[in-house]
Amino acid sequence: MPIIEIKNLTKSYRVYQKQEGLMASVKGLFKREYKAVHAVKDISLEVEEGEFVAFLGPNGAGKTTTLKLLSGVINPDKGTCSVMGYTPWERKNQYRRRFSLVMGQKNQLWWDLPALESFRLNQHIYGVPKADFDATRDQLCDMLDVTRLLNQPVRELSLGERMKMELIAALLHKPDVLFLDEPTIGLDVIAQHKIQEFLKAYQQEQNNTVLLTSHYMKDIEALCKRVVIIANGEIYHDGSLTQIVDKFSGDKVVTLHLADSVDRDAFKDLPNLIDVTPPKIKFRVQREKVGAVLSGILNSYAVDDIVVEDPPLEEVISNAFSAAEAAGKVG
Amino acid sequence: MSATHPPRREDSASESSTLESLQARLSPSYLHVFLTFARNSLVRDMSFRMNFILQCCATMSWAAMNFGLFKIIYRHTESIGRGTGWFEDEFFIFLGTIWIINSFIQTFFMANAEEFSELIRTGNLDFALLKPIDTQFLISFPRVNWAQLPNGVLGAILILVSLNNLAADPDRTIYISIWNIFPFMFYVMCGVLVMYSVMIVLASTSIWLGRNQNLYTFWFYVTNFYRYPMEIYQRNGIGMALWATFTFVVPILVVSNVPARVLAQPMGRSWMNWEAGYAVLAAVGSLVASRYVFNLALKSYRSASS
Repeated sequence: MPIIEIKNLTKSYRVYQKQEGLMASVKGLFKREYKAVHAVKDISLEVEEGEFVAFLGPNGAGKTTTLKLLSGVINPDKGTCSVMGYTPWERKNQYRRRFSLVMGQKNQLWWDLPALESFRLNQHIYGVPKADFDATRDQLCDMLDVTRLLNQPVRELSLGERMKMELIAALLHKPDVLFLDEPTIGLDVIAQHKIQEFLKAYQQEQNNTVLLTSHYMKDIEALCKRVVIIANGEIYHDGSLTQIVDKFSGDKVVTLHLADSVDRDAFKDLPNLIDVTPPKIKFRVQREKVGAVLSGILNSYAVDDIVVEDPPLEEVISNAFSAAEAAGKVG
Repeated sequence: MSATHPPRREDSASESSTLESLQARLSPSYLHVFLTFARNSLVRDMSFRMNFILQCCATMSWAAMNFGLFKIIYRHTESIGRGTGWFEDEFFIFLGTIWIINSFIQTFFMANAEEFSELIRTGNLDFALLKPIDTQFLISFPRVNWAQLPNGVLGAILILVSLNNLAADPDRTIYISIWNIFPFMFYVMCGVLVMYSVMIVLASTSIWLGRNQNLYTFWFYVTNFYRYPMEIYQRNGIGMALWATFTFVVPILVVSNVPARVLAQPMGRSWMNWEAGYAVLAAVGSLVASRYVFNLALKSYRSASS
């Protein structure tokens, strides 16, 4: 039985359309125009226990709305959802004790107090026995290397440090299901990497179920085997990372390391050339033609080394997004 | 995995029974949560020392001016309203009662109600909704504004001094014993509950309005009417209309008057009449109403932005 089951979930917002200018604002006092924004349209999804799933999609695609529905913060217009057997928007305490939502854009820690005080508050709210609380806190602080910052007011922490504290605050009660909404947003590469490493180690150890949204492909590559692409409130693709690469990129990137004797001008007119930095030449080839093209080159030229790669994930995903957007407009 | 980790599924009967026992153990301790809130607020207030001291000074000087104003008024008249029994000492008992109720409200709820409004606007109410604890409790108590507490102490002092004056005056009939403190505190608490409910209802409207910065203003308008003995309204048509509104629609008048009467006993009137019973009913009724409105409002919460 899947741990998360979503069926035909739909949520739309009514948004006030403000016109430009003073007269329009005055008019807006009496008569307002609203536009319905369909944040999530008829989404169905199943997640098994212990899965680490990424939600990918452009801004406003409905990723965060889906996580908010799953955590019961907002009510849907239509559809059903069950997480560990609970309906999230009933907000039962039994359910709320067993999951956590971390939002990179919002913070739940007391701004003027050391993070430790917020942890203690969560301990009492979740009713975690003191011994367990101490053990979990020490373990998490150790993994994230923030023990020395525990007594510093949150407002004096860097963004990366604060995010680590947010994660600890969300994990103290050992949730079975974890929703992460852009946990690495705004962080530098090193801090991002630290958090990725932590999440990976933590998930492997606890075997909990994690849903992650992120804009950073590195997060996805490092953590998730399964990727769900959401655009315009609809699921556009659900599958492994490799499938996405296959589906949205027909090309491979070939890098040749030419022997010194080869005349480089011969490659000047190669179609889909990406980069020439002697002795390396990088170009793009359609997947099914890789064999033919390479054997042709190998027959005619001396080549020291060949690397055939998938194109960068960023590029693939951006293709996927554009395809999804286009489909949305047509549909 | 540690032993306290709740089981993942309740597939079998044995698992579900361990789950229940775990849940009993892991239930939140409301008292602990409240004490942590109070403690954290105190730590926070103390770390902004000057701000804390200035706030204490400001509230206390407000009390002093309030007191001075009525001192001046009583230079012109013997009692507020003819034949009401609210002579100077009696009235200062009334005033002290109001200060105590206000001080409770401002210490425990005012900052939270404003914060609640802000949580809605910024979408930060999300965090409160995620916690396995009553949401209304969680948003009602996080900030304890300790700097407002001195007013309550001043109110108590004012009451004690005035009671002392009354007891020393051979012309007055006042029957007071130490036991009166219990009904007094009980009815003060009823008053606090009613005022709290009014505030929660006002703050909840932010969910529909998107923003409600009028909380203080509304609060000022409303409390303006509960700060006086109800007898002064019961004179003509407009007065009766006000009295009825603030007794039956928004029952704030009755909850300030009943506790004050317990101690002040104007004209030797007993406080044990229909108003006392009604004050209890009003307290329970407004609390139920505030919970209803609060939950209704939560249904419309949209969680601003991401």
